[in-house]
Amino acid sequence: MALLEVENLRTYFYTRGGVVRAVDNVSFTLEQGETMGIVGESGSGKSVTCYSLLGLIPRPPGKIVSGSALFGGVDLLNCPKEQLRRIQGKRISMIFQDPMTSLNPYMRVSDQLVEPLLVHDKMSRSQALTRAIASLEEVGIQDAANRINLYPHQFSGGMRQRVMIAMALISRPEILIADEPTTALDVTVQAQILELIRQRQKDLGTAVIFITHDLGVVASFCNRVNVMYAGRIVESAPTDEIFARPMHPYNASLQQSIPALHKKGQALFTIPGLPPDLTIEFRGCPFASRCAHAGEICKEQDPALKQIVPGHKTSCIRFQRGEIADVRIKNFVSAV
Amino acid sequence: MSIFLELENLKTHFPIYRGTIFRRQIGSVKAVDGVNLQVRKGEILGLVGESGCGKSTLARTIVQLIPTTQGAVILEGRNLSEISRAAVRAERVNFQMIFQDPYASLNPRMTVYDTLAEAIQTRQQIDKKLLLEKVGRLMRTVGLPANQMRRYPHEFSGGQRQRIAIARALAPEPKLIIADEPVSALDVSIQSQILNLIARLCREMQLTMIFISHDISVVKYISDRIAVMYLGRLVELGPATEVVEKPLHPYTKALVSAIPIPDPQVERRRQRIILQGDPPSPMSPPVGCAFHPRCPYAIAACKAQRPELEQKESNRFAACIRVGEI
Ligand SMILES: Nc1ncnc2c1ncn2[C@@H]1O[C@H](COP(=O)(O)OP(=O)(O)OP(=O)(O)O)[C@@H](O)[C@H]1O
Ligand SMILES: Nc1ncnc2c1ncn2[C@@H]1O[C@H](COP(=O)(O)OP(=O)(O)OP(=O)(O)O)[C@@H](O)[C@H]1O
Ligand SMILES: [Mg+2]
Ligand SMILES: [Mg+2]
Repeated sequence: MALLEVENLRTYFYTRGGVVRAVDNVSFTLEQGETMGIVGESGSGKSVTCYSLLGLIPRPPGKIVSGSALFGGVDLLNCPKEQLRRIQGKRISMIFQDPMTSLNPYMRVSDQLVEPLLVHDKMSRSQALTRAIASLEEVGIQDAANRINLYPHQFSGGMRQRVMIAMALISRPEILIADEPTTALDVTVQAQILELIRQRQKDLGTAVIFITHDLGVVASFCNRVNVMYAGRIVESAPTDEIFARPMHPYNASLQQSIPALHKKGQALFTIPGLPPDLTIEFRGCPFASRCAHAGEICKEQDPALKQIVPGHKTSCIRFQRGEIADVRIKNFVSAV
Repeated sequence: MSIFLELENLKTHFPIYRGTIFRRQIGSVKAVDGVNLQVRKGEILGLVGESGCGKSTLARTIVQLIPTTQGAVILEGRNLSEISRAAVRAERVNFQMIFQDPYASLNPRMTVYDTLAEAIQTRQQIDKKLLLEKVGRLMRTVGLPANQMRRYPHEFSGGQRQRIAIARALAPEPKLIIADEPVSALDVSIQSQILNLIARLCREMQLTMIFISHDISVVKYISDRIAVMYLGRLVELGPATEVVEKPLHPYTKALVSAIPIPDPQVERRRQRIILQGDPPSPMSPPVGCAFHPRCPYAIAACKAQRPELEQKESNRFAACIRVGEI
């Protein structure tokens, strides 16, 4: 059985401007020890998906409209708050996109790091402090014994992010959810952090959900990738397949936007148009209006994720019907 | 081309205290420690370097959000550390900063409209109708639908908030933008859109930009020149493509070799230069070249004296005594 099984998750926000369908029917499974990447458009529901699993959706305006998330026999979406609290921070921990959501600006880093050890692991204070210093050293913070006494604002952006990573790893979780954990880190430190997470996976069998915009990191770090667009998973495949044989035009467009593939002075490829307004209910594929391959059917039929070859699913209707074999865009003219 | 911004031996140090009752200074973090740099008008200068090396501190010192410890920031011929605080404030419409952390820099109680309208009006007072139009245009520029302008920051995703921060920096039509990791929270397509926009603005409006990022392929693409920083000092400076493709300084070499490549096949086979040892602490930097403890090419002479940033080829500068030999 999978470690985590998410089915038909829908999370909506009821705002003045209408209902924002931030996550709209998302299903996936996570196996022990694996690393699942989530990539996708900014605003496509990656963070909200993860917040939903941890009971962190502000209500109101947010509401989990449907779905289940089974983790060791417990449905995370429908269990008592008390039970969720015991799981969260201990068996599942999260590295937030915004370091300051989990760091308290008025508390020394030392106090924030030892707290879970005192509470969950019943360690003595000096034991906990030794462990906390070691965990900062693991994420490459120099002078950890001194710096642990500083406040978050006295660290650099990347160091704050690393403090948070240390905090998320200190409780030895079964699932680590990492939301853009390395965006503020240079490549050398990033490589070090990814190696640390990989090591933990080997030692403890930790499964990782890794949200990132960096397709280079995806390529080197993830076993499997889900591509999200407008609140839905539009493609899901093993990492090699995602890059070698994209089956959804959105995924292909993403890859064509990477700056490394462009010559200097040449305008970068961008996807024309805007993502759909999630407050408006629409028929058909949410990507259709921006898609170079779209046909009439894309605007009429609601897409569903279907498996094409074992392990590789796409929601592109025309690909499913065999009408397009290659979703890449040839000879693109950039929209500047 | 005229020099727009000049940094002269710029230093920013943070004192570190110990103890709560008997507070005493036990040392200082030399976050920026002697930076010399000239930026031309209309130029995009990329700034890269390890986490904690002082990039954000340098940026904040240039816009005078942190006082300089020593040295000078000279903007269009005027030394900012010598003019009054009021004069600096008046100057601020001309230089905007996009902060690394968009969450902390947006006011949670102001709608997007309020934020952008305020920013536009620091430059000029204009009537409601035109203001509304301008705000709408700004939002579309950064890829956000204009009908979301009455929303509050928490109603947006991370990348959407980052775009609001970018729009706010563009709003007063500044002459200089210092962008601290402006696109790292964005997906590659939006990122491309913003990069295209920045490139166009710099070209058309002679906007000068310092672009801080850890993503070297982004920096290489967008910048005219790249400055590489290590432990508070510049170690390499030169035209963007050359610095990335033929780095002179051993630290730049290591940095370039660690760039993740979006191809799993290549990723599995490639060789990285893994730096030995840890980045040193800016509280007690190593004597001699700050990079020598981790440098594969270090010799005895590297421990003896701190190398200065020197011209090695035309337009290319590096702070390493072994450049010709390695
Ligand atoms: N409190 C809220 N009220 C209304 N809408 C919200 C709220 N929180 C999130 N949203 C909306 O839900 C959608 C999904 O947001 P989410 O944060 O999951 O995006 P994301 O995929 O993580 O994007 P990014 O890559 O930019 O972080 C966005 O369109 C956002 O505007
Ligand atoms: N207010 C402060 N008090 C004490 N030390 C500080 C303060 N602000 C920054 N520092 C220290 O100065 C050094 C440089 O920090 P800075 O934020 O400039 O780094 P950075 O290059 O921007 O790193 P990153 O890429 O991680 O954002 C770090 O060692 C940091 O701990
Ligand atoms: Mg997010
Ligand atoms: Mg910084």
